[in-house]
Amino acid sequence: MRKYIAKRLAQVVVILFFILTVLFVLFRLAPGDPVSRMVDPEMTPEDAQHLIEQLGLDEPIWKQYLIYLKNFASGEFGYSIHYGEPVARVIWDKLPNTILLFTTAVLLSAMVGISWGKIAAWKKGKGADIGMTIAALVTHTLFLPWLALLLVWVFAYQLDWFPITGMVSEEVFLDPDAGFWAKAVDVGYHMVLPLATLFLIHFGSYLLVMRSSMLETLKEDYIVLARAKGLSDRAIRNKHAAPNAWLPVVTSVGLSLAFSINGGALTETVFSWPGIGRELVFAVSQNDYPLAQASFLLIATVVLFSNVVVDVLYAFLDPRIRY
Amino acid sequence: MAKCFKRNMMVRGLALAAMVTVLLGGLCATPAAAANGMLKIGVLEEPKSLNLWLATDAWSKRVLSLINEPLFIREPKSNELVPWLAAGKPVYDAGKMTYTVKLKKAKWSDGSDFTAADVIFTGQLINKFRMPRHRSKWSFIERVVAVDKHTVRFELKRPKAIFLSRTLTTPIVQKKQWEKIVASAQGAEKPLTVILRHKLTNPIGTGPFVVSKWQKGVFVFMKANPHFFGRGQTISGHKLGPHIKGIIFKVYGTADAAILALRKGAIDFYWNSIQAGYLEQLKDDKDIKLFVSNKSGLYYLGFNLRKEPFDDVALRRAVATLVSKEFIIKRILQGYGEVLHSMIPPGNSFYYNPDVPKYGYGKSMDERMKLAYNILREAGYTWETPPVNANGEVVRGEGIRLPDGSPMKEFTILTPPADYDPHRAMSGQMIQEWLRAAGMPAVSRPMAFGALIQKVKGQHDFDAFILGYGKLSLDPGYLRAFFHSRYNKPRGYNMSGYESAAYDALSNESNNAMDPKLRQEMIFQMQAMLMAAVPYVPLYNPKVIEGVRIDRFTGWVPMLGGVGNIWSLCQIKAK
Repeated sequence: MRKYIAKRLAQVVVILFFILTVLFVLFRLAPGDPVSRMVDPEMTPEDAQHLIEQLGLDEPIWKQYLIYLKNFASGEFGYSIHYGEPVARVIWDKLPNTILLFTTAVLLSAMVGISWGKIAAWKKGKGADIGMTIAALVTHTLFLPWLALLLVWVFAYQLDWFPITGMVSEEVFLDPDAGFWAKAVDVGYHMVLPLATLFLIHFGSYLLVMRSSMLETLKEDYIVLARAKGLSDRAIRNKHAAPNAWLPVVTSVGLSLAFSINGGALTETVFSWPGIGRELVFAVSQNDYPLAQASFLLIATVVLFSNVVVDVLYAFLDPRIRY
Repeated sequence: MAKCFKRNMMVRGLALAAMVTVLLGGLCATPAAAANGMLKIGVLEEPKSLNLWLATDAWSKRVLSLINEPLFIREPKSNELVPWLAAGKPVYDAGKMTYTVKLKKAKWSDGSDFTAADVIFTGQLINKFRMPRHRSKWSFIERVVAVDKHTVRFELKRPKAIFLSRTLTTPIVQKKQWEKIVASAQGAEKPLTVILRHKLTNPIGTGPFVVSKWQKGVFVFMKANPHFFGRGQTISGHKLGPHIKGIIFKVYGTADAAILALRKGAIDFYWNSIQAGYLEQLKDDKDIKLFVSNKSGLYYLGFNLRKEPFDDVALRRAVATLVSKEFIIKRILQGYGEVLHSMIPPGNSFYYNPDVPKYGYGKSMDERMKLAYNILREAGYTWETPPVNANGEVVRGEGIRLPDGSPMKEFTILTPPADYDPHRAMSGQMIQEWLRAAGMPAVSRPMAFGALIQKVKGQHDFDAFILGYGKLSLDPGYLRAFFHSRYNKPRGYNMSGYESAAYDALSNESNNAMDPKLRQEMIFQMQAMLMAAVPYVPLYNPKVIEGVRIDRFTGWVPMLGGVGNIWSLCQIKAK
């Protein structure tokens, strides 16, 4: 097992280096000019060149690449061109917000999706199965911004149960007497609609994967044996069938958790949620190379390591798998 | 059984916690801002930085314009420059080429005095570090000297027309706050970068508000500056406050959310132009008032004069004749815009030349086609099927040939994509159709904005394009930058590649003219030259439509660019 993990980690390092290079090249090939917004019509060409030199954008590409690799090796991601702040600080400001919303959404969707998937498979062909499968298919195929705006319109505008969008209320966060719990409750209150949107969009995929995997498992001989032994339905479903149906779901949930740091530009934009997804879109559209590179690299790193973790987890979940 | 009970309890606990969260959250979020005199403004993005020298985006400027003030500012009714931090009009000494400006006895938000030293420091900082977006307004200043604590004298290297309208409208920064930062930059390898990357969380200003709290990505809270020099004063007939305790800029990711927030009362003002599609629902709301204002914008169709086919002025004039700006305003902008005939919008009444050629204006499509056909035919263009037949009837033209007999190759009109600007994308489509009707192989192609700018401005690799400026300076100095041959180079602002020695000489002269009347005449001539050569076809200047709630605050001041301005925010009062 240790040998396998070491081998996989070595692969991760090679792939990361490849991704680093691809990201560097892609952003240099992308059209656009990071300094165009800082140049005014009457700026002399000499002053424009001075600005480019000061921002380090005049260095030859190979030199920029070497600086980039060196900075990455030392954990330095440079400065955002537009914010003028270290990239790590910009990401760090937004990353916890994304993790809070999206990780919660993945876990909640997975919990509900897996439980309902088990039940749907167990009651295959009956009303509960048909209802849950249709609900999963419908919600999973909804267009996220449409659903998000619909929820905002109904629950925030018409019924006035929730705030229109945002992550906090200024009344609470400007109140010097508001303590940690008041602020936490306020964030939770603002999270309800985005969380509901993400839950509705995602729980269906877990439900369908779990249902399909369970249906395969239910055909196995050991399930017939369990029935012959006279075990209760609940015991057969939860103790014998479900654990063996877990593998594909673990992969799905593991990767979703990894990708959850990427956030979702659409969700974050519609709900004005100050996360990394919106930042990523801004960085790419404004040619903020350091910020965009670091954001993509963060996502790539987490996804690569999550793959390793999921593979290792397989061995624990299924004793038949040996590395 | 016990496990089942535990699980049920857990599920019920989670549901209860969720309900408590919602209920408590609902109680916490009871709007109270109006009651305590806070104005809530919806914006689409938060400021990128509070460092004035780095912040170039419109959202940062909304906040910073209330902190860092200039010596002169535009008055809302006349758009004339009026003294702001200055105490009176500048006194010009033509012999010595100096301007003397007396300063108000103002205070910075930290309570310290605003003095001539701050003005001198700002000018030195801009020139020393060649500060982007400001350097061109100060490069001709030889030096600034303090005549006394509240009087400065600007000594110019050469006459420069933009001194009054651009140099004196530069925001002034506090010497005390910036001198340490400048000192640290001076020894650095890249000093400008040190200045631009300085993180400023509490900019000290002379303006009506100061930043009190910035909740990243969510809101910026600005409270009224007790030391604001205009408080209780009447400047140009405006009695200034601020009469509100503060402003909360709330970030909404989309216009949809911001409009809903405005209708619900979560904000008092949405500081962005509202698309015409939202107007029907807003018009019916009795608590919302819509302000429709002019702005100083220029949206245009540009040609690449460096290559065929648009190196021919006859073709450019024919295209200008075929483009129905009235149709674009009526159908695409839904009436919220004005037709442009010159590179300067009519709202800039002092410099706008109303006597430039108005190609095809007021004509029907058939009349336009006939006019364009005549222009092209006289220039030697031929067709397989002319757009005007032997009976003088307009038909669909096909197979246009250049004066040398070769077929006109397909050309592309680049536009921003519809999600960036639907008006420009749709205008491109319409122009394509009008030109095709004349037999021209035009193709409108929406392209990502960054890519479009790179092709047009960086590489000069294009045939025609539609771009625009939403907020042109009222000083027409930009005419020189847009069409002077000096700026016809990659990254230069002369994107069309127009070159004329006569125009260059006139624009240089206008740039140095200190007599407004003389300069006005030159600018008139420049507009006439441009509209004869037609490197750009000016299309439209859209209106600014803003929505304001009138149930809580009153006193908004409309001006060129809209009611979102410092005069409004200094005058509005809670009802």
